[in-house]
Amino acid sequence: MRMNSYYLKRTVRAVLTVWIVITITFGMIRLLPGGPLEQLRGKLLRQGVSPSRVNAMIESYQNVQPNQSILEQYYEYMTALLTGDLGQSFLQKEPVTAIIGDALPWTVFVMVMSTLLIFVIAIGWGALMAYWEGSTFDLVSSSASILFAAVPFYVLGIVLIIVFGYQLELLPTGHRLSPTVEPGLSLLFVLDAIDHAILPITSMVLTGAGLQVLAMRGNAIQVLGSDFVRVARLRGLSDRRISVRYVARNAILPMYTGFLTLIGFNLGGSIILEEVFSYPGIGYYMFQALEARDYPLMMGIFLIITVALVMAVYIADLTYGLIDPRVKSGDSREAY
Amino acid sequence: MSISSDVLNEPQDRDAIIRMDDVSVTYDSGDSYVLDDVSLAIERNEIIGIVGESGSGKSMLASSLLDAVPDPGQLSGSVEYRPVQDQNVEVLALEDSELRALRWEEISMVFQGAMSSFNPTMKIKEHFIETLEAHNAPVETGLNRAHELLEDLYLKPGRVLGSYPHELSGGMQQRALIALSLVLEPDVLVMDEPTAALDLLMQQSILLLLRELREKYDLTMVFITHDLPLVASLADRLAVMYAFELVELGPASEVINTPTHPYTRALLNATPNLNAPLSEMRPVKGKSPAPINVPSGCSYHPRCPLDTEECRTNHPPADPVTPEHTAACFHWEEARTEISLNYAETGTNDGDWR
Ligand code: SF4
Repeated sequence: MRMNSYYLKRTVRAVLTVWIVITITFGMIRLLPGGPLEQLRGKLLRQGVSPSRVNAMIESYQNVQPNQSILEQYYEYMTALLTGDLGQSFLQKEPVTAIIGDALPWTVFVMVMSTLLIFVIAIGWGALMAYWEGSTFDLVSSSASILFAAVPFYVLGIVLIIVFGYQLELLPTGHRLSPTVEPGLSLLFVLDAIDHAILPITSMVLTGAGLQVLAMRGNAIQVLGSDFVRVARLRGLSDRRISVRYVARNAILPMYTGFLTLIGFNLGGSIILEEVFSYPGIGYYMFQALEARDYPLMMGIFLIITVALVMAVYIADLTYGLIDPRVKSGDSREAY
Repeated sequence: MSISSDVLNEPQDRDAIIRMDDVSVTYDSGDSYVLDDVSLAIERNEIIGIVGESGSGKSMLASSLLDAVPDPGQLSGSVEYRPVQDQNVEVLALEDSELRALRWEEISMVFQGAMSSFNPTMKIKEHFIETLEAHNAPVETGLNRAHELLEDLYLKPGRVLGSYPHELSGGMQQRALIALSLVLEPDVLVMDEPTAALDLLMQQSILLLLRELREKYDLTMVFITHDLPLVASLADRLAVMYAFELVELGPASEVINTPTHPYTRALLNATPNLNAPLSEMRPVKGKSPAPINVPSGCSYHPRCPLDTEECRTNHPPADPVTPEHTAACFHWEEARTEISLNYAETGTNDGDWR
């Protein structure tokens, strides 16, 4: 009973968050005086486009009929969204959904890979540091972690491009594929895609792993010093079992929620990352849209990123109880 | 309760199951002692209570019985384990694999805070199974024994085994931990403040259960606590620790009714009991020493009302008060008259203090 009401609450909250974001984007475009559509209308009228044509264009951009009441517009907007219609991009003359559909998999690929690598490195390295707490290895690693965590990923990205792209000419400086390679199920495509993703992923991983390494180190040290590990040793359990079932499991658990939410946050970080690497994912298009005041595209990507973040938190909330027996109803461990 | 007289009436050379000789634990490459030259024979099938304030070295004594002193402590001396009367195992000389076999199979240990002794992400049953497997013991029979032990401890075996640690109350976890410590049929059970986190009622009921377990499984128990009245009703013998040393050792009733060492007398006067009004309670004056700053001679002399020049320079040896009762004090005879107790001193084994 409690459990059900918990899941229900989480679901309602997730849906509510998305709904509020949608409503705010709707309001921002339409209700603000001198808002984007007003500007566009003015611009088109000044260019001598006939008013009826202007209305038709705006309508197609945002599924809006200007002569309707706000409520009717809102209704139309929402139903359009629910059927997957995000309007038409000013810039690309294409439906926003088509642009996102093309770009999103690439961004997800880069960000999920980055986040996965961050956590694999954090768990392995942090655990080793904890086992050898106080050693030179631990000391050097801690300092390096803090140093890398202090570097913004876009700065490291630029450095990587200069070194590996321009000076050593080892890796491509941008784009998601070489011009000659066509997407498909070929080895060439896969290798080329990885080749182009290495530098963006590296800059995310190197700058993002530091804090997680330190977090894992702290967790593992705490678990290593716990009574249950001492008792497990006295009970004669093998070192292997103690490191896997006792130390690793209990040290990784608290990082699970952070892992999922980091994927969500990194999607937001793609805006700058993909601009630096000219990597046409959703972040890259978001940047273009911002520059060109391409509001439909901007709002579409904004919505996608928001929904991804909300989903990440939602999934973290729902699944934490499955992996940590202490949290059956999740009351003490909410992601946000 | 009366002392099980068979233990007391045995001849001098009693049947010791563990014999500690000059056992010391030092840190900082020998600069600070947390256990100082302790010699103690633990007798087969007795319950011995080791009493001391926190920081008196009593937990170190417990850990050294299993050669499990926390790093980087240095353990020296000799701990002899005698599984049968004339077989000797020097615990401190064992190889890692032999030590693994000794711990839990022969000598088992329950720490304070059962709550933190179980892996929070594993069910209780898994703890039993992995322990049995680690010692190559048959899991089936082991689990049957676990069921029996849990029942002996008035727990529902099915429910407890199927639970995660956090789903059990503190008292239930404590009892499950005792069952886990006995699943490999050890001869000796060492308990370090096993009931400290529990309420008074639960403490008492666990002590009762321990007595039953001792009878049923022929256990030798070492019960370590700061709580003198608690262990007084359980133990056959009491050992009092002060500043990392044993200062008094004897049959429980003698130590309670005719305490001999000035520290023991002060400790008893600081302890609530039925025969003394609360206003008579006096805390032990002064502070017990830190490991780096143990006073020379008798380590109790800065706090002792009877200290003399001899106390400040010489270390008092354990002096027999009666054949079974020793006190490490030069002036224990004076102590009995000079330091009055706030309850009636009876001099018999049957005082109503308890
Ligand atoms: S030896 Fe001296 S100082 Fe130590 S307890 Fe006895 S009387 Fe006190």
